[in-house]
Amino acid sequence: MEYEIQLKNLKKKYPGGIDALRGIDLTIGKGRLYALLGPNGAGKSTLVKIMTTLVRKESGEILIGGMNPETRFTEVRKHIGVALQENELDPTEMVFSLLLFQGRLFGMSKQEATTRANELIELFQLTTEKEKKAETLSGGNKRRLHCALALVHRPRVLFLDEPTVGMDPLARATFWEVITSLNQQEGVTVLVTTQYLEEADKFASEMALINEGTIRFTGTVSEFKAMVHPAEESSLEESYLKYIRSFTKS
Amino acid sequence: MKTPVQLLINRGIIKLIKQPSAPLMGFAMSLFFLIVYNAGIGGIGSMEIFGDAGYLAFIFPISIISLAMGSSSGAGQTLNADMESGYFRRLYLSPVPRWSLVISPMIADTLSSVLFTSILIAIGAQFGVPFQFGIWSALGVLLLSLLWSVTLCGFSVGIMLRTGKAQNAAIITNTVFILLFLSTTFLPRELITAKWLLAISWGNPVTYILEGNRYLLGGTAPFRFFLLGVLIFSFTSTCSIAFALLSARKIKT
Repeated sequence: MEYEIQLKNLKKKYPGGIDALRGIDLTIGKGRLYALLGPNGAGKSTLVKIMTTLVRKESGEILIGGMNPETRFTEVRKHIGVALQENELDPTEMVFSLLLFQGRLFGMSKQEATTRANELIELFQLTTEKEKKAETLSGGNKRRLHCALALVHRPRVLFLDEPTVGMDPLARATFWEVITSLNQQEGVTVLVTTQYLEEADKFASEMALINEGTIRFTGTVSEFKAMVHPAEESSLEESYLKYIRSFTKS
Repeated sequence: MKTPVQLLINRGIIKLIKQPSAPLMGFAMSLFFLIVYNAGIGGIGSMEIFGDAGYLAFIFPISIISLAMGSSSGAGQTLNADMESGYFRRLYLSPVPRWSLVISPMIADTLSSVLFTSILIAIGAQFGVPFQFGIWSALGVLLLSLLWSVTLCGFSVGIMLRTGKAQNAAIITNTVFILLFLSTTFLPRELITAKWLLAISWGNPVTYILEGNRYLLGGTAPFRFFLLGVLIFSFTSTCSIAFALLSARKIKT
């Protein structure tokens, strides 16, 4: 199997001695839609920030698309698309201008960037918002624009950190249609962190569960559910809660 | 095709045009100084010590300095707005060199400062400010202003990036404010009576930019002040750019 993401004994300690990651081993194959689950403060965001070149690791090895993000960060940034928890929008710019500028920053010509911006506006159903400033958009539309910006340069790996927070059910459904289509039709590898476990249950092919900076489980969603509830059918949410509570009690 | 650096400089300029409060405030303050000081205490210009050029030529450098002080916060404002909105992280995640994210708004800001200084020089000329070497004096004033502006801008941006707070850049403005009062800002050295103040003014870099300008305008200071001004502020602007670039490594994302 070809791997898109390879992490080996990855550690991160924040000032004050907080161990955010305590030796993460994880491999994600090309073209997977992978869910990274865990409670708040488990280390999910730190892990995503390290993989996306935003935070430096303490020790360990990391390869994204076969490249080390610390030495080849320019290539890695072209290879990945990132939409983190907080919206990263210039509030005073219009939807179209933001997408156009993003394309230009990634080396597209004005014509290419214009075409791509219009494609994404249509894909994320932002047509009526095209000429509106980002600050005037609804929470859900801001989120959609935020995700659209991550896709401008056609990345091969997409990191989505809590992508559907603030979206209404219709917007969430549309969003997942776009993401699953990218994953299935274009083979884009997707790593998503989410607290909406029904989303992971429905869309993710594989998952990892992280708690207190350590990976507790990797495998398919079905395998996880069968491991926690071997004798009965259960939802991912039920299995997740039972599993996490077992750690809290111990 | 434009390079990412050109794109970022363009963006910085457009931001300043869309939100011109910082450079416009600096310009308004400078004009205010020029008009009020000239109208209010211009009469002392008849004192022999100001020479034929009068008080206007003496006080005009203050307008130039305060203009750069106002507009040098522009780069910090653009960066700060990007950091507060989270958009800076979006820019940071693009494949552009990290230094370009810091230098681009500084360049945009410096261009804005040069533009407003040129306008101020033109207004000063209309008010009767003498330029003893004609266009060369005007270019010399622009050069000193450019070096001064880059110095303030780089240190302000560096402090902001290191601390993650725009308001901390005010440390630079406040320091300069103190230095202004410890220099020959309002009176020629010959009229300063306190020996300690005279001693401090010799070691105060602001003195050299003021006196350098006065050499170019009314010729009331010797050439060496202009020369030292250029040397000192070439050095400080280089240090300030280096400080801003090194601070880019400390950016908190």
